[in-house]
Amino acid sequence: MSKANTAMGKRTIKPKKLFGAAITYLIILAVCFIFLFPILWLVLASFSKTGSIYSFKGFFPTSYSFDSFIKLFTDTGMYNYPRWFGNTLFISLMSSLIGTTLTILTAYCMSRFRFKSRKAMMKTTLVLGMFPSFMTMTAVYILMTQFNLINQQWGLIMIYSAGAPMGYLTQKGFFDTISVSIDEAARIDGASNFKIFVKITLPLAAPMIVYTLLSSFVWPWSDFILPKLLLKNKDLYTVAVGLMSLDNTEFSRFAAGSVFIAIPIIVFYFALSKFLINGLSAGAVKQ
Amino acid sequence: MENSTYTGFFGKIKSRTRGFFSDKAKKIKSFFVTLPQRLKNKFSGAREILTQGNGKVCASMLVMGLGQLLYRQWAKGILYLLVQIAFVAYFVLKGAGDFIGFFTLGVKQGNAWYGVEGDNSVIMLLMGILSIIAIIFYIVIYISNIKDAYRIQCAADTLKKPESFKKELSSLLDKNFHKTALALPIVGVCVFSILPIIFMILIAFTNYGGAVVPPALVDWVGFENFSKILTLGQFAPTFFKIFGWNILWAVLSTFINYFAGLGLALLLNKKCVKGKTFWRLFPILAYAVPGFITLIAFKFMFSYGGPINQMITSAGGAAIGFLDIDAKWTARLIGLMVNAWLNIPSGMLLATGILSNLNTDLYEAARVDGASAWKQFVKITLPYVLFATMPVLISQFIANFNNFGIFYFLRGGLYMDGYFLASDTDLLINWLYNMSIDNNYYSIGAAISIIIFIVTSIISLAVYVMSPSYKQEETYQ
Amino acid sequence: MANVSLKHIYKVYPNGTKAVNDFNMQIEDKEFIVFVGPSGCGKSTTLRMIAGLEEISAGELKIGDAVVNGMEPKDRDIAMVFQNYALYPHMTIYENIAFGLRMRRIPDIKRDKEGNPVLDKNGNEIPVMRKYNKRELDQKVNEAAQVLGITEYLQRKPKEMSGGQRQRVALGRAIVRQPKVMLLDEPLSNLDAKLRTQMRSEIVKLHNKLNTTFIYVTHDQVEAMTMGTRIVVMKLGFVQQIDTPKNLYMYPANKFVAGFIGTPQMNFFNVTLKKEGDKVRVRFEGPEASIYAPYSLLQKTAPRYLDGNTPVCLGLRAEDISLDPEAVKNSKTNIKVKISHLEELGTETLVYGDIDLGYDGIEETDTRIIIKAAGFKDYKTGEIVEAALNFGAAHLFDRQTEESIMPRIPEYNYLDCKVEEGEISFAGNKIKLPPAMECPDGGGELLIPVTAVNFGGEISAEVESCENINGQILLCLNVNGDRLYALSDSEQTGSVKIGLDFKKLIIRVGDRQIDPMPLINGLTGTFVSEKTPESVNGKTKKVAHYYLLINGVKLEAPAEIYMKMFAATAGRKVYNSEYRYEWTPCDFALSGSGIEAQVLEVLDYGGERFVKCAAGGETLYVKCEGSPTGKIYLLPDVSKVSVIEREREIRIV
Repeated sequence: MSKANTAMGKRTIKPKKLFGAAITYLIILAVCFIFLFPILWLVLASFSKTGSIYSFKGFFPTSYSFDSFIKLFTDTGMYNYPRWFGNTLFISLMSSLIGTTLTILTAYCMSRFRFKSRKAMMKTTLVLGMFPSFMTMTAVYILMTQFNLINQQWGLIMIYSAGAPMGYLTQKGFFDTISVSIDEAARIDGASNFKIFVKITLPLAAPMIVYTLLSSFVWPWSDFILPKLLLKNKDLYTVAVGLMSLDNTEFSRFAAGSVFIAIPIIVFYFALSKFLINGLSAGAVKQ
Repeated sequence: MENSTYTGFFGKIKSRTRGFFSDKAKKIKSFFVTLPQRLKNKFSGAREILTQGNGKVCASMLVMGLGQLLYRQWAKGILYLLVQIAFVAYFVLKGAGDFIGFFTLGVKQGNAWYGVEGDNSVIMLLMGILSIIAIIFYIVIYISNIKDAYRIQCAADTLKKPESFKKELSSLLDKNFHKTALALPIVGVCVFSILPIIFMILIAFTNYGGAVVPPALVDWVGFENFSKILTLGQFAPTFFKIFGWNILWAVLSTFINYFAGLGLALLLNKKCVKGKTFWRLFPILAYAVPGFITLIAFKFMFSYGGPINQMITSAGGAAIGFLDIDAKWTARLIGLMVNAWLNIPSGMLLATGILSNLNTDLYEAARVDGASAWKQFVKITLPYVLFATMPVLISQFIANFNNFGIFYFLRGGLYMDGYFLASDTDLLINWLYNMSIDNNYYSIGAAISIIIFIVTSIISLAVYVMSPSYKQEETYQ
Repeated sequence: MANVSLKHIYKVYPNGTKAVNDFNMQIEDKEFIVFVGPSGCGKSTTLRMIAGLEEISAGELKIGDAVVNGMEPKDRDIAMVFQNYALYPHMTIYENIAFGLRMRRIPDIKRDKEGNPVLDKNGNEIPVMRKYNKRELDQKVNEAAQVLGITEYLQRKPKEMSGGQRQRVALGRAIVRQPKVMLLDEPLSNLDAKLRTQMRSEIVKLHNKLNTTFIYVTHDQVEAMTMGTRIVVMKLGFVQQIDTPKNLYMYPANKFVAGFIGTPQMNFFNVTLKKEGDKVRVRFEGPEASIYAPYSLLQKTAPRYLDGNTPVCLGLRAEDISLDPEAVKNSKTNIKVKISHLEELGTETLVYGDIDLGYDGIEETDTRIIIKAAGFKDYKTGEIVEAALNFGAAHLFDRQTEESIMPRIPEYNYLDCKVEEGEISFAGNKIKLPPAMECPDGGGELLIPVTAVNFGGEISAEVESCENINGQILLCLNVNGDRLYALSDSEQTGSVKIGLDFKKLIIRVGDRQIDPMPLINGLTGTFVSEKTPESVNGKTKKVAHYYLLINGVKLEAPAEIYMKMFAATAGRKVYNSEYRYEWTPCDFALSGSGIEAQVLEVLDYGGERFVKCAAGGETLYVKCEGSPTGKIYLLPDVSKVSVIEREREIRIV
């Protein structure tokens, strides 16, 4: 039968394949709808006029307006959203910068140097990572309380930055892919290890640096446990804690606030998605 | 056919476990047999210094830096000397007291009535830890001091010029760059990761918490907390119930997320799908929105006044309490579904990345050999993906085991009968939170943390070691 | 002067494996040296040790006149080209080449903004080290780019260029430094075949143009043969042979070198040799075949290989076997071959066959033969043809040791002799044996090493021929009809008078064998140091002295000896290691103090006397006067010692 087809020069679409493709598309559509729907709901809710969930008709608000957004930024008496936004921006920025520096330095050293305590350090980091992160947080909470460091933004920044190097494996995997002969050629040309790091390795690692900066920037945005523990003053809240503190009646304000902060993160993630795929798989496959 | 796969399957497990244990037994035996030799090798360096060090090295043993000074290495000698002076000053003035305080945890009970300032046990514990760390640092520098003196002696005895201090400093940017670069990260990790963990481990052996908080004195109680959790009527039933649910939850959620993510990746990878990037945007959207937002949204969605119930009531039915106090299994089910919604996208991204590295020639060869699509999946795709992602799978298992957010938001703060400070959907970590932060049962909470750690580390180490990723690294390289 | 000297270079890893064993070589300026060998033979490791990328475990490396053992690569004035080019991907070609130059500082005098010299207080110029300025950089980079033909690519990035162009950039980066030595680590391995042949000739042309020493590493023997002036063949860390391509091809020192050099690989057959009159019967194992070769071709072979029993390996290259009917007719050394298949290459055809006629044509055998025939041939599989073997180009190897048994410089001369009442008759001469060589009467064999023949003696000889082999002169002498080979310092002709160094002779009569006197005396000992107070410039200070401690006796070591020992060991291991100290018999002096030894025997070799004594469990042979007896004390000349570290088995001095 196939011979006849090719002789005719036509491409017959087999019904079996068509059926299979239809089923595939059906499933994909269903899946995408499931993923899209809650977000769609939130976005619609943020445009609701009344601001309360109880006045919805099922999933959809009865009337639409920009009111929630406006209230978000103007009604700062109880819920100072702009302030929260600024706090979060500051904390994320500083943690990202400091954390990335520490992570890149650690990953480079673990990749390029073979020193005596290297294996021991790698194993320790592995073991430390197995402790539930929550354990550290309660301890940090107790410690900070005793030292009156609660309610300090720099406390948060230091915790985020100091914890960043523990996740050096992805970056190390990337550095491992940079050939050692480039380092050797530079050494023969007369560069010290520091010069090699600055002039050769860093420029080559630009994509990884961007990835690290972005992913360590995004993490404090969505983190709620640590700020909730450590920040008591309403003015110092990050957006995450602030939104959690809204009560049930303010659902559309909550939706508006969420939509507002979700947008930059979504933009970042789309920019990162290429990096994410490579970064995740590079870290997952054993080198 | 069914029979043989069954027996084959169990037979494999049996032989694998037997092989595993005999393998481990052999390794343990060789560990002990080679122990004396390996200890000798490790300490051979020390023995060499002790037997061959000359007078100047011995001088360094007594007073740090003295040997270096005698060898005219002024800068290093003075630095080591300063370290010793600084440490002795610290120890005499504060360290000794702190060190002792570590063990006693305070003896003087403060009394607000009489304005007597008591000992703050928690601070004493902390200061004690710091003093121990200081002692450890001192010992490390002390040993490096002796090694350095010996190195100078070796150079002098073999007429090799030791490096000048300036050269040693510049080597910090060259040969020893790793020391300079790692200094700050190590300090950061020590202070913010290691110190808290040690602190928590130690708290688990005290009675800090509940009524016993400063200004009351805290004492060491040994393993009392652990026995309390496992036996005391107050804690034990809750502990075992939650522990059981936690394991079930971790296994189910990891399984669902992993395979659903893999399935989705395969689905979107199929040849007949056009516009793959477009379809992938939706899961990425779900991934990108911060977790707590979607969790709160879902909480609203399933609440009594929420949209789902509204639609049900408007259709004439009675409102269902999805996340109600009575809805044990519904709530659990909803938890699983919401968790899947949150985590499948990342699993899909991971699988997509791995699959892109897979050699498509394998599939073509399999087709020529006559394998069906299912067989191809089981025999080619699955082993490869499992191999590549085993470490990630393990960390996902641990993450799910300790998934604080999911039930905190969906059903936070519910205390039920039959549970001490917990609800029937709470995981160990939620229970921890309730006890420690909301109710100040710090020491019990710390003990639970340690138990979580032991369980998760054993499981992950065991699975990792038995997995093909560990055993057959070369297969796919 | 850019010569490179490697003396006793070792590379030993912490777990004991030796990657490079006792590498000795003297490389002259402007040579093109190639290190060649299979994977894992240590060639790259040696190159990296020369570059400074690997640490030298023991030995001395000199570039020019300077000992560079601990020096950083940038101070050694070398440049290296890597297999994978190792270009900096994010920099332009210009920057890649200029990178090394930017790191350098050149001496100059202090100048002001216009370039006029700035003088100090006394009106003298002030020397400073400065960087290259832009003009100088441009000039140097453009020069290098022009030599390699990459000037138009200077502003591009490496990823925009092809493999061959990238390799040229790597070469450019290397030559712009104007190094004393150029090191190339398999630079052509990543290129396709056609590009490789092209780049090969370019590198050779570059070498001729630059006139710098090149050291090149490759695993491809064709590259080695076509490019090198001298080739070092290595295997498993040991040097097999260092020689010119021609000599490697014509005179391989062992079976490995013979099989490694030349395509297709040399044919090897297991044979035994038996001398039958003035012919030697070469009997093949496997097929029942023999050929008769003239004895004249095997003159330098030790007789024991010609007894018909010793396993020998015959090597013959494919191009030295001919299927041409004319050649077969004229040749006396023919053999029958059963054809298995042909490989037709156009210019020639490789005929594969087997000398075992019962061969079934499928399995691999050791009687396989490959023959090069010109043009196209139409032999059929299974056909039996006759092949002419050019025995003149044959190579013979001991099957066990795989060493060549036809050395260009033979080790011994084998002469028949007869001993009668203390006099030995050989080659028409009768000489009195020295008392040390007591021998029973009878007929036997006399082995005279080629080094044992000296000039100005009693025996008359005629010089038949004179060969210059790698700087050594081998004379073929005729002594009353017997042939005698001798090494000489200069070319000689006509009649000469020769004498024998008796202590090197071996005499075999009946069951008895008189061995030569051992020329190496070894003693084990350690190394110690002592501080003695001495007066230096009027002040009393403790000065350190270094001694070899042998059997309780301290012998002061001179600076060159102990500095080399210090350099070869880390930390204070020098003082804790056992060493073997070796001297020749002439390096000892008998004196009143020294190493105690018990005289066992006095050996009188006519002109020389040696005493055989026992010291600390070892037997030593020491040159002496008269006839010492009983206890004697030996004082060796420490500056002539050879030092071997026992633990890692490394020769340090």
